[in-house]
Amino acid sequence: MLHPSTIGVITRSLAFASMAVGIMPAVALAVALAATTAQGFDETKYPDWSGQWRRPPGVSIQWDPTKPLGRGQQAPLTAEYQALFEASLADQAKGGQGEDARFTCIPPGMPRIMTIVWPAEFVILPKITYVNFENHMPRRIYTDGRSFPTNEEPSLMGYSIGQWLDTDGDGRYDTLEVETRNLKGPRTFETTGLPMHKDNKTIVKERITLDKGDPDILLDEITTIDNALTRPWTVIKKYRRYRDFIWVENNCAEGNAHVGIGKENYMLSADGLLMPARKNQAPPDLRYFQQR
Amino acid sequence: MLDRNSIGFIAMVLMLGAAVSGAWVADVRAWDDTLYPDLKGQWRVVGGPMRFDPNKPWGPGQEAPLTAEYQAIFEANLKAQAVGGQGTTPTYTCLSPGMPRVTNGYGQIEFVVTPETTHVLVQHIHDNRRIFTDGRTWPADLEPSFLGYSIGKWVDNDRDGRYHQLEVETRHFKGPRAFDSSGIPLHNDNQTIVKERIFIDKSDRDLLHNEVTVTDNALTRPWTVSKRYRREPDRQPFWREVNCAENNNHVEIGKENYMLSADGLLMPTRKDQPAPDLRYFVQSKK
Repeated sequence: MLHPSTIGVITRSLAFASMAVGIMPAVALAVALAATTAQGFDETKYPDWSGQWRRPPGVSIQWDPTKPLGRGQQAPLTAEYQALFEASLADQAKGGQGEDARFTCIPPGMPRIMTIVWPAEFVILPKITYVNFENHMPRRIYTDGRSFPTNEEPSLMGYSIGQWLDTDGDGRYDTLEVETRNLKGPRTFETTGLPMHKDNKTIVKERITLDKGDPDILLDEITTIDNALTRPWTVIKKYRRYRDFIWVENNCAEGNAHVGIGKENYMLSADGLLMPARKNQAPPDLRYFQQR
Repeated sequence: MLDRNSIGFIAMVLMLGAAVSGAWVADVRAWDDTLYPDLKGQWRVVGGPMRFDPNKPWGPGQEAPLTAEYQAIFEANLKAQAVGGQGTTPTYTCLSPGMPRVTNGYGQIEFVVTPETTHVLVQHIHDNRRIFTDGRTWPADLEPSFLGYSIGKWVDNDRDGRYHQLEVETRHFKGPRAFDSSGIPLHNDNQTIVKERIFIDKSDRDLLHNEVTVTDNALTRPWTVSKRYRREPDRQPFWREVNCAENNNHVEIGKENYMLSADGLLMPTRKDQPAPDLRYFVQSKK
């Protein structure tokens, strides 16, 4: 009996032979062995996105990496949401969190998760591509031809359906097109609280492909359609591949000094006491405690 | 792993291809996923997810083989929980439960098998495991974690040419961790070693077994339990996004834990619990 790994090596070896020289005996043997191993996953049809992907050096955590955080993003917000954004900035200037709810450790959701503040990994299988993050649950991008579910609970990450494309006709997929819907809030584009519409009807479209000039750069062209915007907003994210890496466990809740009580956020001091996050902030209402 | 006949056969095939072509084909990333067991789909634990041993009752009924010192810690923890505290279970602040508690199956589970890594994705906080099956050894200098570092090996126990069982060893932990929600403690030295044997039931392909053995200095002997997970029949299952921090009513301030009331106000979790110290607020000095 052949060991499973042995069969795999033999199958690949036969494939080499038949691909390289087209000799019939090798083909015949490969076919014979294939009968015993059924269909395997030929990952050579897919691009090699293995490794760990991070923001390139010098790129911060803004939404459009080519522009500064905050107002510098020049987000195409409607007047209503521009006002909300300005209020968020004003609140943050005083020590508040504005529209950004991340201080409670809820996930950033889509599309903000694709800023990849912490490293990410792509795991490609024929029917699904996973995007694994160090500090959040994964994205599942279904590539099995399904359509969007009609009655599924919305989520911060949304529901993603993808399609692989062979744009240069060389017989291999090179681009993953993704559409994400069925989102819930609260979500923002970035830490400044750059808002998305509270109706959560966001649609996010992505085209993910390796840079033609550098296989260690992955490009994610992200177009967000949202009712807080006057037009679709397209940005291009770049991720750099690291082939020598470790994965770090990143628990947002561990050592999180933010405390949300009702609609107020406070901080924990170094000595573990509650303290205000902004000047003259009122303390929490302690009516449920026995007065001493 | 490879017997002599196999090696000879492979060598012959490679030589044949190379001799005629004069060159190797560059891309050799193809792999045969049919060599591995079909673990696709969504798995949910059989029995209660709140218990480490699903075959025994919660808490003292687990009959954990604790040392006298850790039995005393466990009992103090039960008393603290009985009056509204959290005892030795730290996850109310949304910390990862870590290993081995993550095997309890409190969230929907998915296994993603690739030759180098088996990913165990758990729909809860960020409890995803990587089990490295690429033949690596333990890293010499590794930051410890709640989930630890897992190295696995696929085994073809009946020598039918396909893998049936994933054997995993996990080390390099940090704490605090507990076996389950009752707060059964692991040793504070975090020298835990967890060994697992994961395999599909021979007569029911939708039933997955995980035999988990924990070696820990809080225990008088290795503690082995058998867990089972049932595959959901829907092959396009709904994955529920479970964000612990979302609607978490627990608030930790210093070493005290409080709750948020329905109207968003801070309230005690136990009788006569003192209110938090507000000395850093201007109003509290009045």
